[in-house]
Amino acid sequence: MMETTTDPPAVDLTVSIGSLSLANPVLVASGTFGYARELAGLVDFSLLGGILPKTITREPRKGNPPPRTAETTAGLLNAIGLDNDGLEHFLTHRLPYLASLPTSLIVSIAGRSIEEFTEMAGELDGAAGVDALELNISCPNVSGGVDYGVSPARCEELLRQVRSRCHLPLIAKLTPNVTRVDEMARAAEAGGADAVSLINTVSALGVDWRRCRSLLGNGLGGLSGPSIKPIALRCVWQAAQAVSIPVIGIGGISSLDDAMEFAVCGASAIQVGTANYYDPTLAQRIAASLPAAVAELGAHKWMDVVGKLQMP
Amino acid sequence: MRKSGSEDAPFLPDHAGFWQAEIVEQCRLARDTYRIRLHAPELAALITPGQFVMLRCPELRDPLLGRPFALYDTIDDRDGRPAHVDIVYLLKGKLTHLLPKRSAGQELEVWGPLGNGFVPPSRAQHAVFVAGGIGQTPFVALAKELTGRRRYGRPPRVVSQATKVTLCYGARSAEWLAGLPDFEAAGCDIRIATDDGSRGHHGWVTDLLAELLETADVDWVATCGPEVMMATVARMTAQRKVGCHVSLETPMACGIGACFSCVVPVKEEEGGWDYKRTCVEGPVFPAEQIAWEV
Repeated sequence: MMETTTDPPAVDLTVSIGSLSLANPVLVASGTFGYARELAGLVDFSLLGGILPKTITREPRKGNPPPRTAETTAGLLNAIGLDNDGLEHFLTHRLPYLASLPTSLIVSIAGRSIEEFTEMAGELDGAAGVDALELNISCPNVSGGVDYGVSPARCEELLRQVRSRCHLPLIAKLTPNVTRVDEMARAAEAGGADAVSLINTVSALGVDWRRCRSLLGNGLGGLSGPSIKPIALRCVWQAAQAVSIPVIGIGGISSLDDAMEFAVCGASAIQVGTANYYDPTLAQRIAASLPAAVAELGAHKWMDVVGKLQMP
Repeated sequence: MRKSGSEDAPFLPDHAGFWQAEIVEQCRLARDTYRIRLHAPELAALITPGQFVMLRCPELRDPLLGRPFALYDTIDDRDGRPAHVDIVYLLKGKLTHLLPKRSAGQELEVWGPLGNGFVPPSRAQHAVFVAGGIGQTPFVALAKELTGRRRYGRPPRVVSQATKVTLCYGARSAEWLAGLPDFEAAGCDIRIATDDGSRGHHGWVTDLLAELLETADVDWVATCGPEVMMATVARMTAQRKVGCHVSLETPMACGIGACFSCVVPVKEEEGGWDYKRTCVEGPVFPAEQIAWEV
C-alpha cells in the first residue's frame, strides 16, 4: 500500500468549490461514510478535504428491503434506498457532531420535488457547520430518484430554484445512466451549480440463476467500485470538457493512481466511495500521497494537473 | 422510525482496529468447514463471544469487500496472554473458497472486534444454544465463558456462570458437524439432529429444543443459524416465557455501520418497526424484538 511521504514536496492542494475552499481535493462519498461518527475510531478526519454524510431526505425513509448489497466482480451492487431519519433528525442529532469535525462538511440532500429540495436547502442554508450542499439527483434506487438527473431542462430548473433559496455552494451529483452526461453537466451549470460531481452508481442487475431471483431486495440496483472506474473517467472527462465549473470525480477510486487518473481527466476534487467499506483510511492516505504525485508531473499545485489529459 | 433512541447506534466500532494478521494455521473440521487461526494479539485481547470480525484478502479486487465471521475462540501464547483468534468458516462464496488456499505465514486483513456480542443473563442456570449449520460458531467461546473455562475481553469480563450448558446442533448430515470436540471441551452437553438421520435425532434441531423446554428447566436460549430456525426458536421460547437471544447474519459491506446494508426489521417501543443495522445494533438481538413477519 501507499506510504505516507515523510517529507512531502511543497505542493498547494487547495481547491475552490464556489466560495468553499477545501484544504485538499480528497473527499469521502455520500453513503459510504455513514454520518462520520461511525468512523470516529478509525479515521483522522482532519486529513480529509471534506466529508459527505449519507443523503438525507425531508421525511424519514425506511429504505429498501434487504438484501441491500451484493458483491459482483470487483464491484458492489447496492439498493439501500436512501434509508435515513429525515432532515429534522439530521439537524438535531447528526449535524452537531459533523459540524464539530476539523474538515469541510458537504451535506447531501435528495427530494422528490423541487419544493422538497428548495425547502431542505433553505433550512440547511443557515445551519452552522454546513459548508456546501450536494444535490443527489442521481439515486437509481428510489422512485423518482433520478427525475432531475436525466432531463437537462428539469435539472437546470431545479438548480435555479435551489440557487434562489440557498447561498451555499451547490454541487449537482450526476448519474451516468444518461446518453449525454455533458448535457446534464451543462444544464446544472446553467442553473447555477458551483460544481458537478459524478458518477453516482451505474444502473445494474445481479441474479442468482438457480433461484431465478435478483440478488437485491429491490430488484435493480446501482453498481459501484473498481469495475465502474473506466465509465466514471469517461464521464468526468466529458463533463470537464463541457463546463467551466469544477468537476468532482467519483467512481471506483481505490488508490492514489486512481485519484490521479481522475485529476488528469479534469476532476478538481475526488470522492472515495466503496473503498471506504474495506479501507476507511484510504482517503486520508491518498491525500497524504498527493503532493509527491503532483510533483511527479512537474507541478507545484494540484489544480495545475487537473485536466492535463491529452486526448488523441 | 429512528435508527436508535440517541444519535448513535449503541455498538459503534470505537475500539476496533484494522490489522494485517498472519495466518498461524488452518485445519479442516468437517465437510467444507475449516478453522483458521490468525495472529492478532490486540484483537484476541479485546473480543468477546458473539462479536465478529471482518476478513479480507489484501490487495485483491475480487473479492473486493470484507466478509463477517463470528469469533470462534481466542488462543493464548505461552505466557498466557491472548495471541490468536480462531474463525471457523464454511465454503460458501468467493472469499471462503479462497481461504483454504492461503497458508501459514500469509496475511489477511482483519478488522474488529465488531458488534455487541452475547451478554448472558445474570441468573441463567441452564443455558441452551440452538445452532443450525455454520451457526454453531459463536457458541464455543460462549460455552467456555458460561462454564468458567475461559474469560474474554479487556479487562476480562465477568459473566455469571451457568450450572448447565446444552448445545442443540442441527446439520444436513453427520459429515457437516464441525467442532464437536471443542464443544465437549467447553463443557457442553451436546444434542444433535441431522436432516438425514446419519447422526442423532432424524429431524429438526428445534425438535430437540422442544423436548428440553418440556422436560428441563431452561433459563436462557441463544440461537444462530438459518432464519426460519431462529424464528421458530423465538416463537417457542416466547410461548414458554424463556429469554432468548438471536445472533443474526446479514449481508454486510463494511461491518462498521457506514453502509446501511445489513439491516433487519426491529420492533420499536412506540409500535411499528424500523430497519436496524446488524453490525452496530447487533448482531445479537433479544428474539422478541425481531419483526420476523416483515
